[in-house]
Amino acid sequence: MTNKHIIHKPIAPEIRNIALKHGNDREAALEVLKEIQTHHSALTVDSVTDAARSLKLPPHRLYGMATFYSMLSFEERGKILRVCDGPVCWLKRATTDDGRQTIDKWSSMVHGPWSVERTSCLGLCDRAPAVLVNDEQAGPADVDDAQKVCEGWRGAPTDYSQPRKGEVRVMTALIGKIDPDSIEDSLANGVYDGLKNALRKTPEETLAEVEASGLQGRGGAGFPVGRKWRFVASEKRTPRYLICNADESEPLIFKDRVLIDTNPHQLIEGIAIGGYASGASEAWIYIRGEYEYQARRLENAIAQAKSKNLLGENILGSGFSFDIHVHRGAGAYICGEETALIESLEGKRGEPRPRPPYPPQYGFRGQPTAVNNVESFCAVPHILKNGAEWWKSLSGYKTPGTKLYMALGHVKNPGLFEAPFGLTLRQIIEDFGGGMLDGSTFKFALCGGAAGMVVDESLLDVPIDYASAQQGISLGAGAFLVCDQSVSVVAMLRELLHFFAAESCGKCTPCRVGTWRSLEILNRMAEGKGQPGDVDELKSLADLMQDSSFCGLGQSVGIPMKSAMEHFGSEFEKAVK
Amino acid sequence: MTLNIKINGQLIQTEPGKTILQVAKEHDVRIPTLCYHKDLNPTGNCRMCVVEVKGGRFLQAACVTPVWEGMEIETASQKVMKDRKLTLELMLANHPQDCLICDAAGECELQDLAYEYKVEVPTWGAKGTRYPVDGDPNPFIRVDMNKCILCRRCESACAEIQVRDVWGVSKRGFSEVMVAGAGVPMLEARCESCGQCVAYCPTGALSNKMNYGVARAHQVKKVTTTCSYCGVGCQFDLLVKDNKVIGVQSNPNASVNGMALCVKGRYGYDYIHHPDRLVKPRVRRYLLESGKKPVISDQLSVISHQSSVISGQSSVVSDQWDWVDVEWDVALDVVAKKFAETRAKFGADALGFLTSAKCLNEENYLMNKLARQVIGTNNIDHCARL
Repeated sequence: MTNKHIIHKPIAPEIRNIALKHGNDREAALEVLKEIQTHHSALTVDSVTDAARSLKLPPHRLYGMATFYSMLSFEERGKILRVCDGPVCWLKRATTDDGRQTIDKWSSMVHGPWSVERTSCLGLCDRAPAVLVNDEQAGPADVDDAQKVCEGWRGAPTDYSQPRKGEVRVMTALIGKIDPDSIEDSLANGVYDGLKNALRKTPEETLAEVEASGLQGRGGAGFPVGRKWRFVASEKRTPRYLICNADESEPLIFKDRVLIDTNPHQLIEGIAIGGYASGASEAWIYIRGEYEYQARRLENAIAQAKSKNLLGENILGSGFSFDIHVHRGAGAYICGEETALIESLEGKRGEPRPRPPYPPQYGFRGQPTAVNNVESFCAVPHILKNGAEWWKSLSGYKTPGTKLYMALGHVKNPGLFEAPFGLTLRQIIEDFGGGMLDGSTFKFALCGGAAGMVVDESLLDVPIDYASAQQGISLGAGAFLVCDQSVSVVAMLRELLHFFAAESCGKCTPCRVGTWRSLEILNRMAEGKGQPGDVDELKSLADLMQDSSFCGLGQSVGIPMKSAMEHFGSEFEKAVK
Repeated sequence: MTLNIKINGQLIQTEPGKTILQVAKEHDVRIPTLCYHKDLNPTGNCRMCVVEVKGGRFLQAACVTPVWEGMEIETASQKVMKDRKLTLELMLANHPQDCLICDAAGECELQDLAYEYKVEVPTWGAKGTRYPVDGDPNPFIRVDMNKCILCRRCESACAEIQVRDVWGVSKRGFSEVMVAGAGVPMLEARCESCGQCVAYCPTGALSNKMNYGVARAHQVKKVTTTCSYCGVGCQFDLLVKDNKVIGVQSNPNASVNGMALCVKGRYGYDYIHHPDRLVKPRVRRYLLESGKKPVISDQLSVISHQSSVISGQSSVVSDQWDWVDVEWDVALDVVAKKFAETRAKFGADALGFLTSAKCLNEENYLMNKLARQVIGTNNIDHCARL
């Protein structure tokens, strides 16, 4: 085939029309690809090339994306069952299979139009083991339930309307008390009061209030929200943007989904306040593709808010105009990293950018941008409504405010709850989680998230907040996977590394090869076939990834690896034959 | 504005906006690089240039990290050296161990660094078994993705220098691989075979088909020359082995073009030793002897010479149309004489001049002088205008 032939081949009209529908907007490249896939049941080299030509992009750009995002595929699929391959679902299954064997079993159970795919984590840890049926979340469902799931069974979302003993509910206060899809209901229960209060203040006063509250980012790093907004507000260039990171893709973590499901207007309100305080004019909610249901709920909430002039032009006559858009991801954990998220939002592969410059200086479209977690935004309305002092008074600990926690694994009452900082792991298990399951004794917990620390019982009584990682127990995004004596630390680490290896973007060498190699070693160690030198190699790989990786993904892979080997070294030694 | 920083204890004053790597280079502190190239936007992918910055939780890639006031940098601490070595190990674990027969050996940046850091090649890994060797059907560029270390210089060179955007990254994580276009052969992905990607590839993943296996780097003499194809004046090195030109290589110091070349400059060198190449001027024999153009029948007889011999017919065959190798002076005399004759007989406007894009500006200017002032006609044009 010659160049000439390629150039003169016309673009398929249906592809051109899809691109046109999205305004031939390069930032909509991911949407275009998804739509082509929906219409043609799969992507092809030709359709991807034509889409690239319609958007006036080099074909490799779209092909790179099409092969990057796990929800896009070149294989024809009818109905898709995405089986969660995350560590919580692995733990909750009644077998000793690793995640991959489970996927194979699912494949053998379903027929006809169904195809089975693995997904790194569905964010349904409180419904583990979980599956995603096309766009619909379902669980708990093990392999034996395959038929039932294909026939339409979905299960129900976990009910959090009843607070646990000891909970301090702020962001979760309205769970079960309002219809989340009704703005009237929300307004009647005080949602948007915080925004109204903010609009009575100047942006500077609003920002000062958030700064005074000491609210720390709830994504895991704990960076002060007010300070981040201050950076954006102090940049002279406009427009400035806000991004809400709802790409909650880390195993163990599902708080953002619950927040969106139970009170979407609280999030909209928080983002609007953030926009007012930081001088931003527009915001995007980047939500993971697996949360289609939640994305629609947010779109509905935004439309309702616009109809009440709580978003849009001249909000409530204040002169402040602000708009929020929902952008769906397509399956990539790395897009939770803020610069990768921005790249993805710009219609590219979700690969991190070098930092500095940080997003407040150079973010979305190169403009000043603040990226904040869903939970961070959800806390803001309450601070504006009740004041920074009230927010600080909620916590008897040095870290102010409340936090969402997720207790998972071998506890009697797993799930989500809200409480102040400074809880110990023992409190999380005993007071909130209802204690260990009968017959279970505590062996270890994975604290924070998949990239958190593995701790043993020696750390059960350390108060936890963003600073407690220094003492060996991390808060991260607030998830705690509690494991009993039956769980092998080596096998758990294997599942974690499988996750990281599958989700590494591949940009930098340490993470790209290091995760893969670590998984290879852990695979054989979990079978008791480790080789001499394996433990040392794991340690040096963990060090390398932590020190030298490009972004937070690779840098944090070493955390569970090193802490697991530190506390359970003998188990690793034993796995060497 | 001046910044005060320290590199390996040495106090350095510099300006903001520079990267650690730039400042280090200016002060003769060597930091190894692989994905970095001075002509391309730095990406920070390979992590070879990591350095320790005091107070930082992680090592920083020198190529993308700007310097700031009070920064204290260690470029060769124990931690840094250990990480660089292990990063190299990870690259080599999945790299074929065939330096013995690899075209890039001797000028391979990966090989040099592996040697410098005394890397022991791990026994694990996929070594040259993942992708087809010589996997692209184009005539010039040999693609062996097994040797690729995913530095992405090819992508940058194609996008930033040649602006063809052929190369890109596909898949993710360990499966990541460079592709042309939407995973198609290079020529279908708008490749115009300029070979920039080969010039910037630090390994043997991209090499040249025309001289593959012909010479090692140390066996060739490099002769810097100017391209004869057009008037741009690109410079490059001819690779000479046993007095024969076996290839063209970018010369990074070329002032006009840097490393960039077009397909003709980089790959159109086989005319040099081609048996059909004209090395002297040639004129028709009649112009040297009678000066009189042989009659048409004679001309035809040349064509029918063969058949007439076979048919046994006797015929007088003219040799007046033969090409004869002559010296330049002879050939130019013939041209000058014919020009003068034509001008005298039909006037200056009976002559026309067409100049070539292969000539320099100065040469074209001289041609213009010749046409207008010496001959006296405005009939002059240039092939680039057509």
